[in-house]
Amino acid sequence: MKRTNEFAVGLAVLLALALVVAGALWLSETDVNKTNVKAVARFRTVGGLGVGAPVTLRGVKVGRVEAIRLVEDEWVETEFSIDKNVELPAKPAVVVASASLFGEWGASIISYEPPPADPNLREALAESDRAGGDAWPGATLPDIGQLTAQASRIAGDVGVVTQRISQAFDSTALKNLQQSVKDLAVISTRLVGFANAQTTRIDRVSRNVATTSDAFAGVAKTFQNAVARLDTATSDNQLRDILANGRSSSQDLRQAAADLRSVMASAKANEVSLVRVIQQADSLVTKIQQGNGTLGMLATDSTLYRETTATVIQFRELLTDIQAHPKKYLKISVF
Amino acid sequence: MASRVHARDGFVAHVGRTTLETARALADVRTWSPLLVAQMRRLGVDSVPIALFIAVFTGIVLSLLSSYIFTGAVPFYFVGALVGKTVMMELGPVLTGMALAGRVGASIAAELGTMKVTEQVDALETLAYNPRAYLVVPRVLAATLMFPVITAFAMAVGVTSGWITSVNLLDLSTPEFFKGLRLFYRFKDIWFGLVKSASFGAAVALMGCVRGLDAKSGAEGVGQSTTRAVVLGCEAILVLDAFWALVLL
Repeated sequence: MKRTNEFAVGLAVLLALALVVAGALWLSETDVNKTNVKAVARFRTVGGLGVGAPVTLRGVKVGRVEAIRLVEDEWVETEFSIDKNVELPAKPAVVVASASLFGEWGASIISYEPPPADPNLREALAESDRAGGDAWPGATLPDIGQLTAQASRIAGDVGVVTQRISQAFDSTALKNLQQSVKDLAVISTRLVGFANAQTTRIDRVSRNVATTSDAFAGVAKTFQNAVARLDTATSDNQLRDILANGRSSSQDLRQAAADLRSVMASAKANEVSLVRVIQQADSLVTKIQQGNGTLGMLATDSTLYRETTATVIQFRELLTDIQAHPKKYLKISVF
Repeated sequence: MASRVHARDGFVAHVGRTTLETARALADVRTWSPLLVAQMRRLGVDSVPIALFIAVFTGIVLSLLSSYIFTGAVPFYFVGALVGKTVMMELGPVLTGMALAGRVGASIAAELGTMKVTEQVDALETLAYNPRAYLVVPRVLAATLMFPVITAFAMAVGVTSGWITSVNLLDLSTPEFFKGLRLFYRFKDIWFGLVKSASFGAAVALMGCVRGLDAKSGAEGVGQSTTRAVVLGCEAILVLDAFWALVLL
């Protein structure tokens, strides 16, 4: 009986002991087979992270938090155990964040290069990295409590703004607003009518444009034919000749222009003399018109004309007489 | 009223005196050591079935209750966390202690009360045996040592029944349940429950011994002592539960 008692008690105690030890090891995920490696990360604060919290890499659990301790210079060091078969980033960093709304926290391994886009996170990691040592740089994101506090503050601000708006919108303002809305409706109706009218006009203009476009198409076709002809002329060197003649004419014109400029310059130089000559000529012509002087008398008096005509008649009679009677007027003797 | 207060003070003093005498009797190893294993078997091993029975249904009820509470509000895997934490830290030790207070406390009080009213205790003294060393120490030690053992079984069975219930009756997978179970687990969860259960065992056995050795007036007195032992044992468990929560949490 005594041995039976001893066996039963011993069995119960051993079983209970085995249950407790095995259960504790299993629940705490203790690394009995040494399949994990240790790593240490440095943080300013670890938030709600606790021993046993999961460590993830790209969302996959690869380890757990083994220890958390305060160290010098106001840093917190966290020790992780990570599955040694996991391929870590070349320069790993750790970001601690709340994993859910229910108090779970977790650590995520990320690559420190390139640094994260979030400026606060980047600065926190850089500060931790500058501290040196073998510890990985670490940063902690705000927890849900901080975020909700911030959201609560924003909600309070929104409430204040809403209250102010409700105060601003009293009954008068509301009536004005209603009237404005009605006016806006009227304006909208007018705008719709205007838009319809403009649409009709635009349709007409569009048709005109289409017609013009067709005309342009005809012109383009004609131009295309002209170009084709021009191509033909170009192929017979006619255009080249025309261009050469044009170039030559241009040179001649340029020369003529130069000569004209020279003449103009000379004329400008002799302008005073020319003016004087013109004035004198003008004076002379005036005198002639007035019948002053010999030329005036010649111009205005017909006596000279008559005398001259009579003289010419006489001279013609003389010539006739001479032709009829040369010996009367000419006497040629040889020797 | 004054007599009640006096009686209560007298009982407290009596418990203190009995505790001190039992502590002194620990030195009489030759007297109590041969009896220890038998008491461990009787008070501990023989109590395992009732403890496991309670633990099974505790786990079932806890998982169903937590799923009812968490539906639509909290992730379902928290069922594992609630079952694990509650069974290991509270319901495992306390419900096991309560059950054993009824079984062990009553057994001790009835046995010692009968010995007292039939003057067997006096006979032990006549034979130069220290009744504390012979009767109280082995029972108190056995209960103190075996309650954690029984509680460890109750914890394992309670969590297991909660897991089986969650997988079969709730829309919860095994990995999800274990995720919740491990989520907030600390080694303290286990040793906290075991330390509590050890104190429960000592208190239940001590109350049974005190009330049993105080039994008077024949069978009726034994019955009253037994009832008082169970009630006092349960009260002691609740007081100690609050005490350890204050001290250790």
